[in-house]
Amino acid sequence: MDGVSEASDAEFVHRVLAGDTEAYAGLVARYRDRLGRYAMRMLGNRADAEDALQETFVRAYRSLGRCTEPNRFGAWAFGILVNRCRTLGAQRGRRERLQIADEVALNRAADSADPVDRGALREVLNRALSRLAPHLREAFLLKFVEELSYEEMAAMTGASIPALKMRVSRGRAELRHLLSEIDDA
Amino acid sequence: MRDPDQTLDRAIQTLREPVEIGEAFDRRVMAEVAGGSAPRRPGPIGRAGRWLIQPHVVRVSPLVALAAAAALVVALLRPWERGVEPGAAATQATARSVASAAVPTRFMLVAPGASKVTLVGDFNDWSVDSTPLVNGVSGGLWTVTVPLPPGRYRYAFLVDGRTWRPDPGAPPALDDDFGRPNSVLTIGGS
Amino acid sequence: MLRRVICGSGVLLALALAGGVAQAQEPRLVGRLSDAARAQVDTILESARRDGLPSEPLVDRALEGASKRAPDALIVAAVRRLVEELGAARDALGSGVSDAEIAAGASALRAGARPDDLAQLRARRAGRSVTVAEAVLTDLVALGIPPDTAAAAVLAMAETDDAAYLAFRRNVERDVALGATPVAALMSRVAGGETAVADPTGRPGPRKP
Repeated sequence: MDGVSEASDAEFVHRVLAGDTEAYAGLVARYRDRLGRYAMRMLGNRADAEDALQETFVRAYRSLGRCTEPNRFGAWAFGILVNRCRTLGAQRGRRERLQIADEVALNRAADSADPVDRGALREVLNRALSRLAPHLREAFLLKFVEELSYEEMAAMTGASIPALKMRVSRGRAELRHLLSEIDDA
Repeated sequence: MRDPDQTLDRAIQTLREPVEIGEAFDRRVMAEVAGGSAPRRPGPIGRAGRWLIQPHVVRVSPLVALAAAAALVVALLRPWERGVEPGAAATQATARSVASAAVPTRFMLVAPGASKVTLVGDFNDWSVDSTPLVNGVSGGLWTVTVPLPPGRYRYAFLVDGRTWRPDPGAPPALDDDFGRPNSVLTIGGS
Repeated sequence: MLRRVICGSGVLLALALAGGVAQAQEPRLVGRLSDAARAQVDTILESARRDGLPSEPLVDRALEGASKRAPDALIVAAVRRLVEELGAARDALGSGVSDAEIAAGASALRAGARPDDLAQLRARRAGRSVTVAEAVLTDLVALGIPPDTAAAAVLAMAETDDAAYLAFRRNVERDVALGATPVAALMSRVAGGETAVADPTGRPGPRKP
């Protein structure tokens, strides 16, 4: 799709709202990997992550008229994703999905210079993350992986900033503890 | 044994690595999107609204405002007589310390013959070595300042890794389950 | 090669798998308690969470026992005792109270306060947190004041704010440090108009702060 990659979010949004459904594919292509990263880290496996991601993009499409800042479609869609992950996480329960998750990444890691280390780290990371309570995992990921400000996190989750700081701090400390235990093993 | 902070940093870098979802996903989304109804266009007022710059609204709950006010009262009141030092250097972050609501709280112990003193309690998951006290210039006065959010904390000092001592300047904890008495500290404002 | 990668961290993964399917595990206890003690404590934690009781104080208690190298049986007994006290505090305080209020209530009960004291405190505070009030009650008992006297004093001050509670406690402590007997220190602070306090023996106190 030549030239489309240069279009701003707002241009895509306006085209979709004007009736050009196919234009939505441009927004999906632009944001799926970025949003997908959060979904993967939060839910721990690709199947659930893609489910959450698909629901997010479909919902975003259906309520596109309510996006008040079309030029920040990505941020708006991300808020929808965070909520989807909460609901999905509660419903499915990570315990049922303890299989080796990110096989694509594991295979890629196998080709890298340091295959054993990277694959092992990803695996234990996934497990360690899964042992954080969901609200701690969410806060940790939003702060350290997505690098949102506390104001953005508060607007997105509805939690107060002190509560979020507490969750981030606890999530970080627990993850640090879990990982150091694993390292010693 | 690797440094846990280093391991955590490495973990965060790994988590930040991009993820590939793949184009097949796009097709699935578009199939579902095309199958349903088109998004509703906003009405006349909504359409005008879309062109305005929306202020970024951050909801602040009443509890946040109250906690902030309470923390200020606590800081002014200096509830713990043995020394609240705003701005004093704190030790490494503890599991519960929250920068904005925390009160820097100084702990002290006189232990002239000791070679090592650590603070162990609820605020650091009873870790025996994560919060060391520093020996002062003279007289064997060991001190440390820790930021503590409002709450109630049981704690004790561990001297030379083997002798538990309560804080002589603090109320004793009345629930001693393990035969080694603790002290209790209350930071107000909650 | 993937198999070797997985087996490298296999022990922990196997444990995680076993733990994850059977019951939730508190991560902070891993490696600090024996497996046997940890399993028992995890069971207590899960049941506490199901009952809506705070689990932080329970984890802290277990960690304290671990750091003090207490025997497993003692650690489990301590956690069990605490969960009962948390339950009793929550029953006395009623629903809608915070974890901190329940935890401080449990401490107050351990100090000798009665469940009815907690219930009355909550009623008189009318929606404001009882955490600091309960903590001050406990600390007054720790100073040597009999529990019912301490409770009466704290209840009489129920209209005041947290800062006043802490100031009151601090002043009584200071007086005791200066040589007053605990009850005398309490009475003098009360009678001296420190706060709007009724005499703990039951006579009404007229003055306001």
